[in-house]
Amino acid sequence: MIGTSTESAHYVYGVVEAPPPSCAGVSFVEAGSLAAITSEVSLDEFGEEPLVRNLNDPTWVETKARTHEDVLQAVAAATDVLPFRFGTICRSEDDVRALLEARREALLSALARVRGRLEVGVKLWVDRARLVEASAVAPQSGRAYLEARRTAQQRKDDADTLCLETAQATFERLLPFAVEGVANRPQPRELTGRSEDMVLNAAFLVEAGDTHLLDELARVPDELGDPFSLEATGPWPPHNFADVPEESA
Amino acid sequence: MSALAPHDIRSDVTLVELVDRVLNTGVVLVGDITLSVADVDLVYVGLRLLLASAGTLDRLANEVPAT
Repeated sequence: MIGTSTESAHYVYGVVEAPPPSCAGVSFVEAGSLAAITSEVSLDEFGEEPLVRNLNDPTWVETKARTHEDVLQAVAAATDVLPFRFGTICRSEDDVRALLEARREALLSALARVRGRLEVGVKLWVDRARLVEASAVAPQSGRAYLEARRTAQQRKDDADTLCLETAQATFERLLPFAVEGVANRPQPRELTGRSEDMVLNAAFLVEAGDTHLLDELARVPDELGDPFSLEATGPWPPHNFADVPEESA
Repeated sequence: MSALAPHDIRSDVTLVELVDRVLNTGVVLVGDITLSVADVDLVYVGLRLLLASAGTLDRLANEVPAT
C-alpha cells in the first residue's frame, strides 16, 4: 500500500522519579527529576485514525490494556509509579520531554501523593435473590399469602436499601485503615458477567507494607453475612489516585 | 502485603479490574504535544470491551449511545 506510514511514536505508560530503574522491555525518557516510562509504537497502529479504528476492536483494546498494566506493574516492582491512563502518545522523545517539562510541578506533586504507597481494590458483591429470599417469611394462610405478595415489592426495596447501606458502611469501615479511598460506580451485571450484583467498587491507597487494611478486610466477610461476598485485589499501581489538574500542556 | 508482587496477580487481572484501572483512571495529559485519545471517551471504550466479553455487545450495540 502506497503511503503507509512506518513512522513511530512514543507511548507513555506513566512517570517515575529520575533516575529510573532498569526495566526490561521499556525505555525511559528523562527530563530533570522526572522520567517517563515509554515504548516505541507504530503510527500505523497508534496514529489518530488507526487508533480510533483499533479502539473499536475489543481484542486489540484488551491486549494493549493488559500490556499497559503489565508494564506499570513491572516498573512498580522497582520504584514508585504515577500511572497514566491508557492512550497517551507523543510523536517524539523530544515531545515526551517537553510534556514532562510543561507539567513538571503537577506531575511531581501527583507523584508525591502516591510515593511509597499502593492501591488495594475492594469490591462487594451480593446475591440479591438470596438477600430478598432471606427476608421473606413463609406464608401460613391465605391472608398471609396476600400480605406476602403485597410485601414482595417492599422486600425488594428493603434489599436495595440494605445493599446501599452495607456498601457505604463497608467503605466507611475500611477508610480509616487507608491513606485515601475512593468509591467508584459499581459495574452492572451486564458488564461483569457475574450472577451477583456489584454494590461497592472501591479502591484504597495504603502505605507499602502496612497490613492494617488487609487485616480489617479479613474481618469483614463473617460479619456481613452470607449473601454478601467481599473481593480484594492488588496490590496495584495507584491508578485511582493518579491525577493531575487539567491544563493545556 | 509486604511489597508489590506483580507476578502474583498479573494472570489474575480480570477484564473488569483492567477496565476500572487502565481505561477509567490514571493521569490524563491533554495538549498539543500529545496525540492522545483526548477525543475518545475511554469509559465508553471500556464499556464496549466488557459488553463484548459478556457476549452482550451485539444485543446492546444499538442501545449504547456513541460519544
